[in-house]
Amino acid sequence: MLFFSYFKELVGKEVTVELKNDLAITGVLHSVDQYLNIKLENTKVVNEAKYPHMLSVKNCFIRGSVVRYIQLPVDGVDVDILHDATRREARGG
Amino acid sequence: MAAAEEDNTVKEPLDLIRLSLDERIYVKLRGDRELRGKLHAYDQHLNMVLGDVEESVTLVEIDDETYEEIVRVDKRTIPFLFVRGDGVILVSPPLRTS
Amino acid sequence: MSGTAKTPADFLKAIRGRPVVVKLNSGVDYRGVLACLDGYMNIAMEQTEEYVNGQLKNKYGDCFIRGNNVLYISTQKSQ
Repeated sequence: MLFFSYFKELVGKEVTVELKNDLAITGVLHSVDQYLNIKLENTKVVNEAKYPHMLSVKNCFIRGSVVRYIQLPVDGVDVDILHDATRREARGG
Repeated sequence: MAAAEEDNTVKEPLDLIRLSLDERIYVKLRGDRELRGKLHAYDQHLNMVLGDVEESVTLVEIDDETYEEIVRVDKRTIPFLFVRGDGVILVSPPLRTS
Repeated sequence: MSGTAKTPADFLKAIRGRPVVVKLNSGVDYRGVLACLDGYMNIAMEQTEEYVNGQLKNKYGDCFIRGNNVLYISTQKSQ
């Protein structure tokens, strides 16, 4: 639940989602669910020249399981809150 | 129980990760990727948030003419990165002085 | 050698603190001292050496291996 809660706090901020097939998409985080499926709005593919068929995609749903990384906005990370939440989660099992 | 949980003993594998919170760790991922960064958060799936991350991707290319294998390592840095746990192979904390 | 282990779970309990070889699905071998493991076969090891194609590639003081990558765990007589 830790990362689900964390990503809910990031809604409205810009993130870059890098998929396991190397496609990277930047967009505004619209929503997230417990599986870390995510919806992005105002999307832009990072390497547009390589993926011209993605030019018309402006919004998307990404299944959580295909995500490799999510690059986070620097102002969206409070290190102390993350530490505390992680320790609480580790205790809870 | 709660007080005893913060101790330095390793009773289960995830304790090794718990003791690495706020420390720089090495992560080996599927797809010949490696990360070095400061561990800010993790869960039981090994989903993680790392800070000041250096990613190294190892690529092997075959020279068109000589058919020699050319190993290339691409590096980049990322300020804050969420890493999905299912790609993780190995995590190594810094050497502990205990 | 404790030749009395009867089930896989008994084996896993018996090998804590012993030198082991862990082989991953990728074929990479890890040799070191098994610190502990859990029900997912997540493994904590000490003094670990990483062998790719039989060649030593890396050493780790402590290391955590995510269980889904594990093909087998085998005990060594000695390092």
